[in-house]
Amino acid sequence: MNVMRVSTMMVYAQMAKAMQDAASQLADANTQLATGKKINKPSDDPAGEAQAIDYKVSIQTNTQYENNMQQANIFLDATDKVFTSAADTLSNLKDLASAGINNQTQETKDANSQQAAGYRDFLLGLANTKVGNRYLFSGFKTDQQAFTFNAVTNTFDYNGDLGSIQVPIDANSSMATNVQGSTAFRAGLGGTMPAALSDGTPVSYTQAKDPVTGVNTITVEIGNVGDPDYDTFRVTNVMDIANVVSFAWKNQNVDGTALDPSADISQEKAQHRMDALDSVIDAARSQVLAQQAEVGARGDVMNDQKTRFDQMNLSLESARAKIEDADINQTYVDMQQASVALQALQSSAAKVLSTSLLDFLQ
Amino acid sequence: MSLLGLFDIGKSALFASQAALTTTSNNIANVNTPGFSKQDVILDVANSTSFGNTLVGGGVTVSGIKRSYDAFIQSQLIGQNQNQGRSSALSQLLSQVEQVFGDSTDTGLSKSFTDFFNAWNDVATNPESQPQRTVLLQKAASFVDVAKQMESSITAAYNQTNNDIKGAVDQINILATDIAALNGKITQIEAGGTSGQANDLRDQRDNLLNQLASLTEFSYYGDQNGSLTITVGMRNLVEGDKTNALSTQTNSDGNQDLILDNTDITSNVTRGQLGGLLAAQSEVESGPLMGLRKMVASVTKEVNLLHSSGYGLDGTTGNDFFNPLQLSTKSQSAGAQITSASITDSSQLTLDEYTITFDASQNYSVTDSQTGKVVATGAYTSGNPISFDGIQVTIADGTGSVAGGDSFSVSPLTDAIKNLGVAITDPDKIAASSSDTELPGNNSNALKLAQLSNTAVANLGGSTFADFYGGIVSNVGTLSGAASDTLTFDQNMLSQLNNQRDSESGVSLDEEAVNLIRFQRSYEAAAKMIAVTDQLIQTVLGMVTTSTG
Repeated sequence: MNVMRVSTMMVYAQMAKAMQDAASQLADANTQLATGKKINKPSDDPAGEAQAIDYKVSIQTNTQYENNMQQANIFLDATDKVFTSAADTLSNLKDLASAGINNQTQETKDANSQQAAGYRDFLLGLANTKVGNRYLFSGFKTDQQAFTFNAVTNTFDYNGDLGSIQVPIDANSSMATNVQGSTAFRAGLGGTMPAALSDGTPVSYTQAKDPVTGVNTITVEIGNVGDPDYDTFRVTNVMDIANVVSFAWKNQNVDGTALDPSADISQEKAQHRMDALDSVIDAARSQVLAQQAEVGARGDVMNDQKTRFDQMNLSLESARAKIEDADINQTYVDMQQASVALQALQSSAAKVLSTSLLDFLQ
Repeated sequence: MSLLGLFDIGKSALFASQAALTTTSNNIANVNTPGFSKQDVILDVANSTSFGNTLVGGGVTVSGIKRSYDAFIQSQLIGQNQNQGRSSALSQLLSQVEQVFGDSTDTGLSKSFTDFFNAWNDVATNPESQPQRTVLLQKAASFVDVAKQMESSITAAYNQTNNDIKGAVDQINILATDIAALNGKITQIEAGGTSGQANDLRDQRDNLLNQLASLTEFSYYGDQNGSLTITVGMRNLVEGDKTNALSTQTNSDGNQDLILDNTDITSNVTRGQLGGLLAAQSEVESGPLMGLRKMVASVTKEVNLLHSSGYGLDGTTGNDFFNPLQLSTKSQSAGAQITSASITDSSQLTLDEYTITFDASQNYSVTDSQTGKVVATGAYTSGNPISFDGIQVTIADGTGSVAGGDSFSVSPLTDAIKNLGVAITDPDKIAASSSDTELPGNNSNALKLAQLSNTAVANLGGSTFADFYGGIVSNVGTLSGAASDTLTFDQNMLSQLNNQRDSESGVSLDEEAVNLIRFQRSYEAAAKMIAVTDQLIQTVLGMVTTSTG
């Protein structure tokens, strides 16, 4: 057997190296415990670190999508509330329009006219709702009121456009956060419209839609051209409708002039106008409700999406933790092990290094 | 053979024991001297003298003092010191560089560029409001800061390496001078032919060789006079008692070339600290540094392309979001030079580097350094622009025209981080809109920019920014991990070899303690022998006194 010669320097050098190694293991375990992380620099696990970055970026991005949806929800919630009020107001307006002007006292007429004007102004307020810096119903023209009163035509003009403000809700899809005022508060007709009023007078509705703004103009014609009670007027939105109703209760056109020189015909025309608007108000109300349902559906999609992101982030986070975070129990055991090994070395060093023949020579 | 001859034997025994005790003491004294080889006294039987018909021993002689030395282990030690020097330098730089990619503690680039794109999401969600725009500018600035800080940390480590190379060269020259001096002394002493080898000087020289080995790769051979010749890259560093000084010279890349005996020997040095430093530089430059610059250049390019197509709240368009990319050029020609280089169409940029080379008939050919493909060829006319991949370069005659073998390089990456900055200062100029008539609510362009983080980027090999960055981090981690594994292996090997050397040559105090007693006893015995001889002579003299008295 080949017995290795052991020199004094060897004993010291080996002991020093063994203690260095043990101390470095202890330090590693200690770093992991201190940071709570298994990966403290890329070389600790190069492939794992790349994956962890990927997971962290995904979590960060998903969280951003959740933020986007949270903000979008603020706008959509406000829109939803506007629609609830608008629908209620249109119901009230319908009651007012169908009350019948004949046999009403002047006081009632005046009060009803006032009431309709109130609805008109309330609807205008709703259509010009502002959340933060944004007029909700102006499309992309968020810095402008959606509707303003035009003193020349005595109608309400739409100042917005058809812009749909989308926010990203995941990597590939986005969600509109607004409803354009020209759509939401449109005076529009769906299905078949009555051809005659309740008293048998013929009525016709003609629609024309501006493709740029989405504004829909309804021209209502009552009676036959040439008849003394022939009448026509236009509305493009719910404010216009309420305005016509309000002036009709005063037997007036929207410009404040009498509907007819004859008081009787004036009253008849006013009754006809309100009669004709009955179905238009219905259509406007169902338009508002349809838009409200649409907004509600968007909210549902986003809720589902948010739940999905919450779950996804949970699993991404646990995948990241598995790669990056130290298993504290395991690390603690490792550290104990390293610490015991170091102590054992230290005590054996104390024995080995103190052994010398010189100690026994007198 | 006479009675007096006993004195001679006693004297030789005393001298031998004394020599052995001196050697033992010297061994004990040098127990901690690095590179010291344990020495042993070689004892021989002295010439016998005839006594009647037979030969009688004539005592002991010291024929020499020999060091315990294994030339094979020494040569392995030198080789292993060179390996360890390389891996230590390599691991040191790479572990410094990998600390820069602190993504595990959220201090790397991945968080700041994700924050940047998330800020675009917020602008898209609130295109008309100012706070989100201001935040976006802040996030962009922080992306710029982090990228710059990462680059400067890497280049600082990289430049420190150049200083380390100079430092190592200085040390090598000092060691070479010391070795040459020892060569001189050893030849001088051993030429006297007095008593074998100059043990202590040879130990010193071996120790210096080990130190030199950890610094650089070299070959060596001894001659019969005891002198050692050391060559690096086939040029003499040390020959006899003469040296050639190793020197450094800064090359066109700003790196250090090694010059010995008027020859560039850089490519011959792959081991030792020098070899490790040189290898580390090239690994860092082609790996993490290049990767980081490409990633930032790509973000700059893609964001600017989209941003300049959109409209700010103030209705302006065509604005770059980040400072536009700029080309950096290098001319290697005796006569001509690049007079201008510009990006004519950033959408066509590949973000690769190009080399323009000329043949003897002044025809140029432009090669994409990354793909190796030739992207343009043609005949040279001084001052005429050369166009390729959205880049336009003008080379013009200077002190002379282009010649065969001239080469010019163009890179959109070198200064990509150096020039990086947010060009937009006015939040209203942030182009969230895709139209100037749909302000302020149009957010289409902001949407596109927000979704850029999910987009596969052609210049990055179809990866997203995050994937590409993950690749850089994983690459630098692998490089550093491999270097540190190699270092551990080399250190273990070296420690094993040092063990072997110490086992052969090291001093054992126990052994020396035994020797101390042994030679003390033999000294005492020799002294006793002289006393006995003295008594014998007294006896003889007493006989004379008795007979005459």
